[in-house]
Amino acid sequence: MVIELADVHHSYDGRREALQGVSFTVRHGEVFGLLGRNGAGKSTLIKVMTTLLRPTRGTLRILGWDPLRDGPRIRSRIGVVQQGESWDFTTVEGNLDVYGVLWGLSRPERQRRQEALLTKFGLQEIRRKRLFDLSGGQKRRVQVAREFMHDMDILFLDEPTVGLDILMRRSLLDSIREEVRRGLTVVFTTHNLEEADYLCDRVAVIESGRILVLDTVENLKRQYRGKKTLEVSVTGPEAEKFYADLPGALAPGESWKLQGNTVVILTEDPRDALSRILQLSARHRVQFDWLNIRQNTLEDVFLQSVRSEEPTHGLA
Amino acid sequence: MAWPNLLRLVYRNIRVNTDAGSLIILVGLPAMYLVFFGFGFQSVASGADPGLGGGYLRFLGPGIMSFQAVMAGTVGGSMLWADRRWGMLAQLLVGPFTRLQYLLGIMVTSLLFGLVGALVMLGASAVLLGGALPGVLAVLAMLGVISLGSLFFGSLMLLISALVKSNNAYNSIQILVLFLVNFASTVFYPLSPQLPGVLKVLFLVNPLTYIANNVRGVYLSSLNGTDLLELGVLAAETVVLLYLASRAYLRSSLSLD
Repeated sequence: MVIELADVHHSYDGRREALQGVSFTVRHGEVFGLLGRNGAGKSTLIKVMTTLLRPTRGTLRILGWDPLRDGPRIRSRIGVVQQGESWDFTTVEGNLDVYGVLWGLSRPERQRRQEALLTKFGLQEIRRKRLFDLSGGQKRRVQVAREFMHDMDILFLDEPTVGLDILMRRSLLDSIREEVRRGLTVVFTTHNLEEADYLCDRVAVIESGRILVLDTVENLKRQYRGKKTLEVSVTGPEAEKFYADLPGALAPGESWKLQGNTVVILTEDPRDALSRILQLSARHRVQFDWLNIRQNTLEDVFLQSVRSEEPTHGLA
Repeated sequence: MAWPNLLRLVYRNIRVNTDAGSLIILVGLPAMYLVFFGFGFQSVASGADPGLGGGYLRFLGPGIMSFQAVMAGTVGGSMLWADRRWGMLAQLLVGPFTRLQYLLGIMVTSLLFGLVGALVMLGASAVLLGGALPGVLAVLAMLGVISLGSLFFGSLMLLISALVKSNNAYNSIQILVLFLVNFASTVFYPLSPQLPGVLKVLFLVNPLTYIANNVRGVYLSSLNGTDLLELGVLAAETVVLLYLASRAYLRSSLSLD
């Protein structure tokens, strides 16, 4: 295992815990995805794993080393693309070169890698532009590209595709896949579940600093494959009563959550669920604004696991 | 062979901070003080204070060299500030560097800027004065004082940049400090008995006065016991401020997010 976390906690202020007992392992050559909403604890977790923050409790090992004792050794073997921007007053090629110097690369090696990365990340045309003058997406490309100026065993990517266009996003994901085939381990946070589906071997859904779901993408999809999602939204004088009575109309094993004005129901038998909802709607004489049945996606896995943590309101 | 971490950080700091604009501020501003103040006040100042025997330019030259200690401090503070603001501090600290190495990198870089700036001002003074340069030992002694001064002001600016949270606040405080420190010191004019009491106190507690007095003392071969005492006070103040700045820096957040 290249990453091992056991019951890791972190608190910024000593009161509220941003991480509440996170445990998982990551294997060599694996792409491990961390999914979660804003403020769920993804970036805190990345900061703990990259030694920027100390865990307040629990143990972790990165490449077999303890971050509290072997921080510099760990950091010399990892690459990190942080969520926020990080740049200085250099040109694109200057930034890559300075990064190479910081990582102790010889001049010929710096030039070789710089040229390769400028081409690979589509930066040749803007190589002499100052970072200040670049668009958000261009800056992000530089930020990701420069991380490949040095060798590493683990690459931590905290929402690396934010601001990238579709082509560049796909190109970046393919580049990461290529590196993974060469033995790189990747920890990847994203909001984009298609990306997670495309890239990750396993994903963990994190919410309020806790891991809610952790499995391979395939297993998670299989787990929800038998189920379908039924979305219902109604209007009418008795709409409130309809929503209030809806939980009583659901069969055992069916789960539901309110998403805006739409009730999202996870069911194994959508036809039967629909017939019960139609009966309920007839009783309350409401009109359907929206009625939809669809196959589950990784997004549903994410939404279901996150929402199962939320207090239900309005309908209960 | 790869360079040691500290050297790599110093190289990076120099490279990202030596654009034309920064160099104009670092060297051009003191040089302009030397030229404009020097020639502008030459006749007035020498007439007003017969103590300025060698002329105002001879008085101002070592003062402007001392001023480089303050410039070095602003370089150090600005580097930390910019790296926090633009996210490079956190990025460097997930690289193979420690927080202490980063701090030392900034201090060494600002020291280098201070020393190089002082040497440039020494050369400019010699050209303007048309006289001979001081001996090697005198130059080394002056650079030693300026190094200590650079450490003092570097620590002061680091302390400010570690504590301040907004760009406006940082810029305002830096301008205020620069103004007070420069103009309430003996860099541009001697401590005259005609000065109002409050200004006199400001002059006397201002570390730049101690630096300017010592550098001038060495430059004009007029060093006395009071100057050396001031140097001791400056050394003690530097140790205290360096401690406070290191503490604030180590406790500060890595970015301004």
